[in-house]
Amino acid sequence: MADAPLSPDLSKVDPADAWKPWRPAAGAWTPKWVAHLYRRAAFGPTPQETEKALAIGLPKTLDGLLAGEPDAADRLDLLTESGKYYTDTTSLRTWWLYAMIEGGHPLREKLTLFWHNHFATSYAKVRSTKLMYEQNVTLRKHALGRFPAFLLDMSKDTAMLVWLDSNRNVKGAPNENYAREVMELFSLGVGNYTEKDIQEAARALTGWHHDTEVTRFEFNRDLHDPGEKTIFGKTGKWTGEDVVRLCCERDACARFLVAKLYTFLVSETPPPKGLLAPLETEFRASGYDIAALVKAVLGSNLFFSEHAYRKRVKWPVECALGAINAAVPGRVPLQDVTDPLAKMGQALFAPPNVKGWRTGTDWLNSATLLARNNFAERVALGTWGKGGRPPRNATFAFVAEPAKVESPSANAPPPPDSKFDVCEFVYAAKPKDVAAVVKQLGALLYGDTVPAPVAKKLETFLLTPVAAPASGKEAPAAPPGAPGGAPAKPPEPAPPPKKGGAKKAEAKKDEPKQEPPKPLDPKDVKLESPEFKARVREAVHAMMCLPEYQLD
Amino acid sequence: MSNRRDFLKTTLGASSLLAVGGAVPEFLASTARAADEKKDTKGQKDTVLVVIELAGGNDGLNTVAPYGDDLYQKARPTLAFAKKEVQKLDDYHGLHPKMAEMKRLYDEKRLAVIQGVGYPNPDRSHFESMDIWQLADPTRAHTSGWLARTVPGMTVKDAGVPGMYIGTDRLPVAMQGADGGVISLADRASFRLQLSGNASARKSLIENLNGGTDDPAKADLAAFVRKRQLQTYTSLQKIEDALREAGGSGRGQTNEFVNGRFVRRDPDDLNTLSGKLGLIGRLIQKNLGTRLYYVQLDGFDTHSGQAEMHGKLLGELSSAIGNFFSSLQGEHSERVALMTYSEFGRRVKENGSRGTDHGSGSCMFVAGTQVVGGLVGKHPSLSDLTDGDIRYHTDFRRVYATLLDDWLGVDSKGVLGDSFEKLALIDRKKKAPAGTGGTPVPAKAPNGTVTLPEAAEETVIEKE
Repeated sequence: MADAPLSPDLSKVDPADAWKPWRPAAGAWTPKWVAHLYRRAAFGPTPQETEKALAIGLPKTLDGLLAGEPDAADRLDLLTESGKYYTDTTSLRTWWLYAMIEGGHPLREKLTLFWHNHFATSYAKVRSTKLMYEQNVTLRKHALGRFPAFLLDMSKDTAMLVWLDSNRNVKGAPNENYAREVMELFSLGVGNYTEKDIQEAARALTGWHHDTEVTRFEFNRDLHDPGEKTIFGKTGKWTGEDVVRLCCERDACARFLVAKLYTFLVSETPPPKGLLAPLETEFRASGYDIAALVKAVLGSNLFFSEHAYRKRVKWPVECALGAINAAVPGRVPLQDVTDPLAKMGQALFAPPNVKGWRTGTDWLNSATLLARNNFAERVALGTWGKGGRPPRNATFAFVAEPAKVESPSANAPPPPDSKFDVCEFVYAAKPKDVAAVVKQLGALLYGDTVPAPVAKKLETFLLTPVAAPASGKEAPAAPPGAPGGAPAKPPEPAPPPKKGGAKKAEAKKDEPKQEPPKPLDPKDVKLESPEFKARVREAVHAMMCLPEYQLD
Repeated sequence: MSNRRDFLKTTLGASSLLAVGGAVPEFLASTARAADEKKDTKGQKDTVLVVIELAGGNDGLNTVAPYGDDLYQKARPTLAFAKKEVQKLDDYHGLHPKMAEMKRLYDEKRLAVIQGVGYPNPDRSHFESMDIWQLADPTRAHTSGWLARTVPGMTVKDAGVPGMYIGTDRLPVAMQGADGGVISLADRASFRLQLSGNASARKSLIENLNGGTDDPAKADLAAFVRKRQLQTYTSLQKIEDALREAGGSGRGQTNEFVNGRFVRRDPDDLNTLSGKLGLIGRLIQKNLGTRLYYVQLDGFDTHSGQAEMHGKLLGELSSAIGNFFSSLQGEHSERVALMTYSEFGRRVKENGSRGTDHGSGSCMFVAGTQVVGGLVGKHPSLSDLTDGDIRYHTDFRRVYATLLDDWLGVDSKGVLGDSFEKLALIDRKKKAPAGTGGTPVPAKAPNGTVTLPEAAEETVIEKE
């Protein structure tokens, strides 16, 4: 940490100090903090971004994140245009992942993801990629905008109208679904309204429908209840617009949104009372300017402190894209990411319910953690689908069918996996020994030094040759060790071995010795040998399975 | 002559966890203790509780319909069931017409229908109310779920996994906080670690890295991740073995002609309640040792057009439960109890969209061979409503307390933080009705098998 560190006891930190802009002392703007900022404000840094951020300093880096790349507006046009053509969920998900990685404005995409979880709407009920796409465009439009206009647009969003049964909400027979969620989940939070407020707001929202073709919002005057309603103690002939306005006028609104953004951007440990007060005041005073709030948070003393460092569990999208940005040189086929994301518990466009995903430690149960381990295997061993995309520095372009893009044929085709080989960035630093390799792995994957005991174990692993398999073939996981129970004939066939990968790395000379192999002397290791590189990839996998990677 | 150390060794199999020293998860250690303590009581099998969450707020009034009540008929002009339609329990109560299998269990005195269940000051938010049920705490002061709190006090003999959630969602709140004594199983194929090449050395490395570096006093996020990582690896092998040995139902896939097209039905598909309960039944018969199973059936939030969806869901529920008990052999069916619950019921009056809005008070089912069948408690009066909702008379924690004390053998006061008057739900002397068990019921495709909505698109089950 740099100068004037905040108290390690967060309840003793003066909120005013906490949110002052951080002015790093000389030498304090380190790769660690660059990586931290990029993990929260984007989807992790690429090695080039880290280098650039270190060169231009924090203020310019932060401005750059808020503004996006110089051509971000052009990319947005192209992005918005191309998204119209996807009619299945996998393509739509891939499209959004593209936007996150290559849309030129990762912070905007990051906030779009936040709002997707906030206004959680699922394709499972909406059943239209078109409507989900349109909602996504609206989320992106307002992601760094002002909340009242945002909430109004979302209240009229067609996917949302379908999702929360708005057409069922009619004069004389109100359906409370949207009225409840707009208060409970979208603006105020539990405890900041009464059942009566909900019933009255539902009346005010009657007639806020979609058209019969389900293409757009339509106000159905005949089915609107024009009578007087009393919401939050205020009486009038309120309409849907008034419901949105009245919600935004409540003090609870700023409190609720600031707390939720704090959890997303800073820490999942609940803040002490009063810590967020300056942000709430400022947020209200600014007319709910989201960009200003985000900038204040991301540039603050508190953000660049141990109170925020690794204080979140990465969302699956962050876990997946972070590794791709940091460690994979090529442009991986992003459709390969959609299925792992679902297994990790975050299928985009399909949050589990209107409350969104359960975040924090809830992301990690044995099934989802296993999925993270298995995704790490794909990153580390480069077992991506065929093709990939044109190199990253090529002219920016979205392509209608990502799956069909062929690799540039001008260069000699590399061996199957080499263009996604995690070794490339490792060796770019020209490590001269095993310790330097581990150091570089830490810089790439953690943006930080590897704790000494961990580094030691990794070095030992890297130096240890593969054991000669006793029976010729190595089981994909540990051999079955179930005692007693004679393994019945497996009724389901064993899974096919993972494509690629299986053959290589096994080609070690087969000495028939049984005791585990000993680590080699560092002097005897050839860093450029295929065997050593195979160990490096395996180390990448292991390092991704540690809290240093899983936490954010 | 096993001692604790031997037991751990064999349980952990090829895992290198033992080498990690102090990092053996506590739940495994208690498993080992249980093995030591129980090795003389041969034949005595642990009881099992299967919990089915009906997500969305199940309409209790159309599940156990007071069809004999004019007020019911009047409040629900389009949704009420007539005398001719219901599965009649008596002159007043009838099960939903699609619940033939539940009616059979009722007739066999293996189904308890608990009426008027709820809690004070009902919350009509799905999430808040679900949390209350799953924390077993209307004040929501607890930070772990009620089943999670059950784990430490429960003896588990044959396996190191006391509780299992079968589904693709996050771990339910009810099971959160059990320190990994609970695992979730999204689907069989994906519950497998992929390590192509050098697998055992790599697995050891990861276990070693996650096991050795923490200050044991520290309970921070990093320690949490490490612990989860170790627990996952430990569970993998055991579950994989158990799943392989449990196999499939042997019923195979069928093609059926539905609505003008062929639909492939797989009785073992883990996207359906039937498939999940089928797997649980086989795991139980294989003596996996897991004592708490949790599954969900989603889609009960029937604000509009309720009749069709609700019928499908209850049909699926009923046939899945019926099949489940029919397939269990007698000795196993005697050690299994099953409970259903939902976060709330629905308003008495139907709304203007032929649906029902969030209400309070509902019914629960407890089924099992050693369950005392019958109606428990009176149907709440339809002439005495609060805010358009029926009044509950039985706190849901009385049901939990009964199952904890009388079924799982876990002190309910410790789990619930208070004493609750128990219900007469359990009779440990009852035997399975003659002729049940052994042979699986022929592949009677569950009526209206419903694919769980959230699993429809986004979960990709690895199929060979």
